Amino acid sequence: MNYQQVIRQILTFEKRLINGLLCLMLLAMITLACLQIGMRTFFSGGILWADPMLRYLVLWSGMLGAVVATREKKHIGIDVLGYLAPEQIKVWIVLVIDLFSSLVAAVLTWAAVTFVRNEFLFGGPSLLSVPSWIWNLIFPVAFALMAIHFLLAIAADIKAIRALLLKNRHSPFTGVISMPGSRKTGSGA
Amino acid sequence: MNILKLFTLALALLGSPLFIVIAALALLSFYSVEIDISVVIIEMSRLADTPLLLALPLFIFAGTMLSESETPKRLLRLSRTLLGWLPGGLAVVSLLVCAVFTAFTGASGVTIFALGGLLLPALLKDNYSEKFSLGLITSSGSLGLLFPPSLPLILYGVIAEVRIDHLFLAGILPGVFMLSLLIAYSMYKSPRKPKQQEQVNMREILGCLKETAWELPLPFIVLGGIYGGFLVAGEAAAITALYVLIVEVFLYRDISLKQLPGIMVKSMMLFGGILVILAASMAATNFLVDQEVPMRLFEFIRQYISSKYTFLLLLNIFLLIVGSMLDIFSALVLVVPLIVPIARGYDVNLIHLGIIFLTNLQIGYCTPPVGLNLFLASYRFDRPVIQLYGATMPFLGLLMITLVIITYFPLLSLFLVRFLG
Repeated sequence: MNYQQVIRQILTFEKRLINGLLCLMLLAMITLACLQIGMRTFFSGGILWADPMLRYLVLWSGMLGAVVATREKKHIGIDVLGYLAPEQIKVWIVLVIDLFSSLVAAVLTWAAVTFVRNEFLFGGPSLLSVPSWIWNLIFPVAFALMAIHFLLAIAADIKAIRALLLKNRHSPFTGVISMPGSRKTGSGA
Repeated sequence: MNILKLFTLALALLGSPLFIVIAALALLSFYSVEIDISVVIIEMSRLADTPLLLALPLFIFAGTMLSESETPKRLLRLSRTLLGWLPGGLAVVSLLVCAVFTAFTGASGVTIFALGGLLLPALLKDNYSEKFSLGLITSSGSLGLLFPPSLPLILYGVIAEVRIDHLFLAGILPGVFMLSLLIAYSMYKSPRKPKQQEQVNMREILGCLKETAWELPLPFIVLGGIYGGFLVAGEAAAITALYVLIVEVFLYRDISLKQLPGIMVKSMMLFGGILVILAASMAATNFLVDQEVPMRLFEFIRQYISSKYTFLLLLNIFLLIVGSMLDIFSALVLVVPLIVPIARGYDVNLIHLGIIFLTNLQIGYCTPPVGLNLFLASYRFDRPVIQLYGATMPFLGLLMITLVIITYFPLLSLFLVRFLG
């Protein structure tokens, strides 16, 4: 029971941290870009590092935004068949999709780690003499977070399937597909 | 390997996140030709070299702010006061307001949700038939995509690497033409005996103008800045975002400081959803370009089609199908990189191609059976999708006419670019 509380607290912290970072980055983008226009108009000058900085801010905020989209299940998808499928089949479709998504996100994380390691070994310093691998750290971090959120979604899916099976315990449908955990929950209820 | 790819595509149809599907295809493709899969991330990291991208998050933020505020209501009230006396006045107002609103918010779902709920009851009250009203709102949910600063136009510019200010110029005449055609139809279909319109007095007009005084300059800031050559798209987006932030939070106080972080996170989430699709498809399409798939496709098509106009016709059909299946952002990032080399082969102007793309995808939004607007409207107004299929038919017909004219009269898109660009 205790470890669940810890996980919940970590997740709350992660949510607040990412939301806060996103707000800061958005404000930074607006400020920096407007500052740049102001400097150019009034002093016909500008900050040298502002433009590359803005490009990295766009990348970082977008990748973290995608983590939020994973957390909130708001990724863009087609979802025609899922829309039409009955509830009993839908839960299974969702489970398969989340399994697949977490696998792909994990492979992407691995690819991103390889990429950053190569940048670390062979890449030079870039913006503000910060090495390029640090600017690219967002890829492994964001993909790893997405993988974790897809895994959490799987846990929720299994719970939903269990609940559905439990609800239909007396219908013949449950007899065909028996979940390993469903009996245990059934006896406990 | 091919079985795995088919499995992935099947999952796409079942509603798997598209970025996951595209990334999986890219990973499988590179893996199958024995290239290290970290190449996928290298392609994604190229996004940091795209200065144009800045316009997307900032315009998305401005658009989200506008749709969460009372702006739609104020905009509607102003246009009703100014134009309500016309025959078919309310329908005309609906079309114009939807177009302006979509241009600023880009994602078409917002228009139907934010404005549809206000417009439908008003149209019904003014004795427009339910069929006409539903069709009008559903099809104008994506109207205005051709007008600046529409996000899909910017995204097309980013991917096809053409100048965004030229695209903004190119969209105007086709957009105005499309709008005029719809307005003419709406005037013709307006109720025969309109209710006695209350006289509009000067005071009311002044009141409405005063009410929207802070929002009216917005289009002029954006357009003046870009067309005047003072600002590039990203900078115009920054100014718009700052302006909207100050106006909605501190002047109108529609959005409290407490709500602000939520809206910021929401807009970054919308942007993130688009960015990862863009990132994944950069890897996937780069693989296809590496394998010279577009060139081979071009060679293949050229054996059968020699005329540019037949190619454009085929392109239209293809894009209509794509547009009814995918949302506009995924459709753009996936299809544009593949079509651009082929279109070059047929000597199609890339600016003109952009306008053709957007017109098709816009129409695809309300094309049965799966156009997104139809589902959104069905959900929003609680009507069966089948009823909406019928209701949008006449509008769909008009949009198709516009499409044909836009496709076969390139000058409509290119005139302003040549004249002013």
